[in-house]
Amino acid sequence: MKWYTYLAIKQLFPTGKRVSFFTAISVLGVALGVMVLFVVQSVMDGFQRNIRQAIVGTQGDLRVDSKSPIMDGDDVDTFLKSLPEVAATAKYSYGIAMMQRDKRPAFPIIKGIDLENELRVVDLQKFIKCGTLENFDSGGVILSGELARWMRANVGDSVEIYSPKMMENEDGDEVILPKTLEVAAIFETGYHHADQNIALLPLDVMQELYGLNGWIHGIGIKLKPNVRAEKFAFELNKCLNPPILAESWQEMNRDLLFALKTEKTMMFFVLLFILLMAAFSIAGSLTISVVRKTREIGLIGALGGTAKQCAACFMVQGLVLGIVGSAIGIPLGMAVIRFRNDIVSAFVKLCRVEDFMLKFYAFSNMPAQYGARDIFVIVAFAIALCCIAGILPALKAAKINPAEALRNE
Amino acid sequence: MSNIIAELRDVRKNFQDSLIFSGIDLWIEEGETIGICGDSGSGKTTLMNVLGMLDRPSGGSVIWEGNDVTGERSSKLSKLRPKLFGYIFQRCNLIPELNVLENLLFPRRIVTGVEQSDVDFAKNLLKRVSMSGAESRNITTLSGGERQRVAVVRAMMNHPKIIIADEPTGSLDERSADAVMDMIVGLCGEYGSALLLITHNGRFAKKMNTSHKLHGGKLEKIHRWSRES
Ligand SMILES: Nc1ncnc2c1ncn2[C@@H]1O[C@H](COP(=O)(O)OP(=O)(O)OP(=O)(O)O)[C@@H](O)[C@H]1O
Ligand SMILES: [Mg+2]
Repeated sequence: MKWYTYLAIKQLFPTGKRVSFFTAISVLGVALGVMVLFVVQSVMDGFQRNIRQAIVGTQGDLRVDSKSPIMDGDDVDTFLKSLPEVAATAKYSYGIAMMQRDKRPAFPIIKGIDLENELRVVDLQKFIKCGTLENFDSGGVILSGELARWMRANVGDSVEIYSPKMMENEDGDEVILPKTLEVAAIFETGYHHADQNIALLPLDVMQELYGLNGWIHGIGIKLKPNVRAEKFAFELNKCLNPPILAESWQEMNRDLLFALKTEKTMMFFVLLFILLMAAFSIAGSLTISVVRKTREIGLIGALGGTAKQCAACFMVQGLVLGIVGSAIGIPLGMAVIRFRNDIVSAFVKLCRVEDFMLKFYAFSNMPAQYGARDIFVIVAFAIALCCIAGILPALKAAKINPAEALRNE
Repeated sequence: MSNIIAELRDVRKNFQDSLIFSGIDLWIEEGETIGICGDSGSGKTTLMNVLGMLDRPSGGSVIWEGNDVTGERSSKLSKLRPKLFGYIFQRCNLIPELNVLENLLFPRRIVTGVEQSDVDFAKNLLKRVSMSGAESRNITTLSGGERQRVAVVRAMMNHPKIIIADEPTGSLDERSADAVMDMIVGLCGEYGSALLLITHNGRFAKKMNTSHKLHGGKLEKIHRWSRES
């Protein structure tokens, strides 16, 4: 070990003393910054993962869609099924309809699905909160959570559906009869966008409502593991005839995914200020320490140390504080994440906001997830900032003339 | 014919406009002991700094082991210095974050690195200055005299050719000053180091082979110490 590294470590952790006050405060500052960054980034990642899962779970990996109805749906379906990357396909059609129950109207997006195949493409089963899928094919409907709440519909209730097709009947003689369906199940993904306003019907019922003669609007696709949806969609589009278009789940939700990513990045930079503050306080304290140790620096000069090495000694102190701070901050963050639910529930109890939390955040479990990359980025930033904090005192130390320093009492 | 280790030739030093000394010729031979005295502010410390090239002379030349180092780069000087000079200052000699043994080994660390033989040497010398058993003591728990004894040992650690002691006993009472002085002279003799002693104390100056007095910017040789100054 170089002598200046040795001295730097000794100045931070003097022999025979447990820990110096300066070191403790500095390390704590860095550790807190690292911990907060790590926890927040992990929780945001957790939310992102949940949202992505909800998206893929409700939309599938990919869909082949068209502006106008696809008439040769079965041919396209057969073609898609023949591709080696494709694990499963499910035809669908969709549109807007009016739904009514007890004079409460709603205008949900209705999606006609072929349940058996649909279950192979999306994780519908996972999101079913009540009811079963058994009665779906015999004239059932599945409502999204928020739609069901708005309609005040429970499993077993019936709802009436009016399609635009019914209103097209020019001669008003005919009485338009709504289609009555029974609520078979209610699904909830926890992701507002997907839960808002959707009703799932059997495909044939939907086709009848919209007068589609067996036409469909698109085909949902589940890919085999390790096939990248974006790349596959790009390749697939070369084989498909417009207006039929393949779109990966990432493209379909580009805005949302971009917003999520931006949010995470912004949070990172905002929280980086905590580390910046810690680095500033280190820079200040180290500068004071340079002044206090002026005579010692002169002494080291007499013992054969160069100005550059003395400067390095203070840089290394910054570096060591960064490393030790990160080494404490990351495990601390992991511990917080490990016990996050206990911490949240304790906080909630303390503040008596249990109902509020459940109502508005609708989660009892806070998601969190972290990977090596996040840890690396956070630690790299923490250490870099601490090193930069060491530069100022180092420059000051390098300027000290040993002869003058030795006069310093 | 003795070997000259370090030499000042016609050296002058001024800080901005104020001249501290000029025309100084001084050489230190292997194993000899030299005392320098003079009034406070006469420039003794400055002279010592110039000799060790911690401060550069304003004129003249500094010669180490026959080489003129006056214009040498400071990184080169830093390499040469610890082999030639061991320093003992009046006080604040030791690094407070290190214990006694670590302080002793620190000069070795700067020069080459610490080996077992250095540890043995340090312990041995500690015994010589009646400080055995103090290896792991904290510097702040030592008395002034004890600190100076540790500093004496530390100055010896690199086996320097010259020990430069700037009023090493200046802040000690008479008895411990005598003890520390005896240790310095004793160890220098034992390990063959020359000694450049800067002191106000006439008794100590007398013990040296030769003594000089810095006065009015000039160095006068006093072979025999006289009490009146
Ligand atoms: N960097 C400097 N700038 C200006 N003047 C200085 C500087 N360093 C020292 N001096 C002056 O040089 C003179 C000699 O100082 P020096 O420390 O060498 O004296 P000294 O003989 O060692 O005194 P003492 O016995 O009190 O230790 C003093 O007058 C001091 O004020
Ligand atoms: Mg002096």
